[in-house]
Amino acid sequence: MNFQLTDEERMVQDTVRSFAQKELKPIASDIDKNHKIPDSIIKGLAELGLFGVYIPQEYGGAGLSFLSYAITVEEISKVCASTGVLISAHTSLCANPIYEFGTKEQKEKYLIPLASGQKIGCILLTEPEAGSDAANVSTTVKNEGDYYIANGNKIFVTNGGYKDIGILIATHDKSLRHKGIDAFILDLKSEGVELQRNEDKMGIRGTYTSVFALENIKIPKENLLGKEGEGFKIAMDCLDGGRIGIAAQALGIAEGAYEKALEYAKERKQFGKTLSEFQAIQFKLADMAMHIEAAKLLVYESAWIKDNLKNGASYNDLIIKSSMAKAYASETATYVTKEALQIHGGYGYIAEYEIERMYRDAKITEIYEGTNEVQRIVISKQLLK
Amino acid sequence: MNILVCIKQVPDMESKFKISSDGQWYEQSDLTFKINEYDEYAIEEAVRLKEKLGSAEVVALSIGPERTKEAIRKALAIGADKGVHIHDDESHKKDSFQIATIIASYAKDKNFDIIFLGMQSQDRASAQVGPILSELLGYNCITTIVSFEYQDGKVNVKRELEGGIKAKVSAKLPVVLTCQLGLNTVRYPTLPNIMKAKKKELITINVNELLNEQPRVINLKAYIPEKKKGGIILEGKSDEVADKLISILKEKTQVLR
Amino acid sequence: MKALLIGEYKNGHIDESFYELVGFANKIGADSFGFAVAPLDVNIEYAGKVYIADISKAKEYNPKVHKNLILKLIEQENPDIVVFSHSSYGWDLAPRLAAALKVAQISEIIDVDNDEYIVPFCNAKLRRKVKPNTQKAVLTLQAGAFSPVKSNAAQIEPLDYIEQDDNLEFQGFEITEKTGVDLTKAEVIVSAGRGVGKKENIEIVRSLAKALKGELGASRPVVDAGWLDPSYQVGTTGQTVAPKLYIACGISGAIQHLAGMKKSNFIVAINKDKDAPIAEVADVFVVADLLEFVPVLTSKLTK
Repeated sequence: MNFQLTDEERMVQDTVRSFAQKELKPIASDIDKNHKIPDSIIKGLAELGLFGVYIPQEYGGAGLSFLSYAITVEEISKVCASTGVLISAHTSLCANPIYEFGTKEQKEKYLIPLASGQKIGCILLTEPEAGSDAANVSTTVKNEGDYYIANGNKIFVTNGGYKDIGILIATHDKSLRHKGIDAFILDLKSEGVELQRNEDKMGIRGTYTSVFALENIKIPKENLLGKEGEGFKIAMDCLDGGRIGIAAQALGIAEGAYEKALEYAKERKQFGKTLSEFQAIQFKLADMAMHIEAAKLLVYESAWIKDNLKNGASYNDLIIKSSMAKAYASETATYVTKEALQIHGGYGYIAEYEIERMYRDAKITEIYEGTNEVQRIVISKQLLK
Repeated sequence: MNILVCIKQVPDMESKFKISSDGQWYEQSDLTFKINEYDEYAIEEAVRLKEKLGSAEVVALSIGPERTKEAIRKALAIGADKGVHIHDDESHKKDSFQIATIIASYAKDKNFDIIFLGMQSQDRASAQVGPILSELLGYNCITTIVSFEYQDGKVNVKRELEGGIKAKVSAKLPVVLTCQLGLNTVRYPTLPNIMKAKKKELITINVNELLNEQPRVINLKAYIPEKKKGGIILEGKSDEVADKLISILKEKTQVLR
Repeated sequence: MKALLIGEYKNGHIDESFYELVGFANKIGADSFGFAVAPLDVNIEYAGKVYIADISKAKEYNPKVHKNLILKLIEQENPDIVVFSHSSYGWDLAPRLAAALKVAQISEIIDVDNDEYIVPFCNAKLRRKVKPNTQKAVLTLQAGAFSPVKSNAAQIEPLDYIEQDDNLEFQGFEITEKTGVDLTKAEVIVSAGRGVGKKENIEIVRSLAKALKGELGASRPVVDAGWLDPSYQVGTTGQTVAPKLYIACGISGAIQHLAGMKKSNFIVAINKDKDAPIAEVADVFVVADLLEFVPVLTSKLTK
């Protein structure tokens, strides 16, 4: 067993941490309040190469390990969960499927601008009637020879508001269930793509969660990702990889809140003692730290397995561990932010102290990219097979 | 142009320091090490010069134990071309003269045109290595620079003096320059460059091949200073502390009445 | 013990730091004599001999020329130690001189105990005790560490051996334009440090300065961050001040800052970190977050 990061991974951690602490931390509250990540931050993330951490350099990425990607999302999420999910959704749900399933031409045309951060990616998967039940999508596509015509409605599109590039999941024959599903690379500036609104949410308020109506949009046939009927597999693959990204985001949120609570407990005095001198608070801190360490091991191990699939690591192991990482880290995030807020007392409830934001941000990690109930289905299925 | 940048790995100065068991230095385990702040300005300036000239080689050199390689890798990720690690597990016991001697023995036959260093290390803070190195190599030397420009075989720099005054100085090559806060803003190494740095050459030389000199300064002991006594410490509720402070100021200074 | 004390000619006179070198020489019981590159008619309040090299020939800054002058003088007088102030002049010249003499150089001495010297390290959080491993030594002393000693006018001895060097050219000074106030004349200074966190919070500190009818100052990180212009900077690279009351808000107390304000009559530090080095010079240390505490203090003062 080797628990050490490589030199490169440590350097990634160091670079992303300094950027997060210096550039992002001071404006994280504003990002939440203004519902927007400033363009200058997106430019900075792109310059650092954070939009394609494990995508090979020939396709505009940094060519680092998947673990480096997890570390990136973790470090960013420590200070700003919105920016964490911007990177995670972009990478796992858009750049990744093009990298895994795209043709050389598709990669050159779409992956390079995505991985280098000139374009922000998203996936158009969820519909009002199809959430975790992805086989039930009712957005339709019709093969018209040189192009497809798509119609339908998509919701919960993280990063949709940037209107750049999306992976569209749609069906050419609903009666075929998952076998009728196709995946396309969609230019969101195409005619007929209507961004209806960006949702007003409880947390991660700096990211766009968009609602789209698709009306007779023309998708060139060369934008079909994989073959017809492979869309379900592609969507599932996105979510498999995406879990580690969300787990890393949740881990980061938990660590950010824990660090604040620890600092506050050492400074804040009540009854002539610092909070950290009360055993009730000491135990809280110990419990928080334990959960964080356990979550971190799961997240890092899942990422390590993904990096080592070619060296004999097991794919089934990846499925089970990444689900465990996602469920455990997200529950750690809601637990740790709750305790961190409690340690802060009344101040924790005030926006200025930032803990309330972390508390609000944490909740979504138990929900998106497969609710924790779905993760438990995945885990138990693997255990019982 | 051949450029050498000398860097040192130092602990994060925010750390809580303990004295090592031999009583000679600080305890090095449990500390986070990073590149000496002033040396980062040196790397950045060297890389900027290289980018401006188009053709130049930047060699990043560091002396220390195995972990020092991480600092060199970072310099490579920022833009240095080649790394030199002078392996020395006891580098903290070398005095500034010995450190300068090690660098000079490495550099003496390499024809470096400019050698950039930090003006001092954040831990030892002697500010000696640069000027001693220049004496050993017979190079010109300008310390504490806050502005740098290279033109027609000469460097034009500003060195920071006291009281907001700067001295404008130019010097012929070869030259040793020590860099001060304010010289530049250091870039973040980008992720693609971190990956590229992995493929750059990093050679290791054992310190014994380069040093055969005794220290000129003997380190007797290291210790944590006692706090000044007599200072009043006030803590508690802001409201009460403010009242106390005001009454102290009324009593002890003629500023408040 | 014989000590050669190196003076610095700045802004038209011998810098006050020279008298601290004299204080140091007295403290260790050394016979001393001086050297400076200065005008030949310079006034030095020192009871001894000072060799002067004419500044119009040796120039304000040319370390090689200055070094060779001192080497020549050492050959002639054979001192045991050469003492500089740890200034931009001292830390530049002392190591070169030590290297040329092949002797020890000890930097930024803050105290002395029989030929054993105390120096700070790790941002002044720690101390080391060191001694030279050579018979002679070149020393630099931290500004303010030794009490200055002044007496009658010195006996000036011109030194005419000046060898030119054309490898390095001093082209004059650049003086930062003072847009702010002259802090050296202020009776009360309230300074902001890194602890203010962001530019907008400078106003919190400025309000306290106003309430005390004092001036606003700053530590270097605040100036480097661009939150205030350099004229507000207190410290070795900014202004050296000694007001009746100095309040340091969120300043940890880097040695460069302390050197610029520790002679203030009364020092109040407001800082979250009880271990911050500013505690060493503070008469009153308020352990508090300045963002919370300062507004309370200001409102009480303005009532």
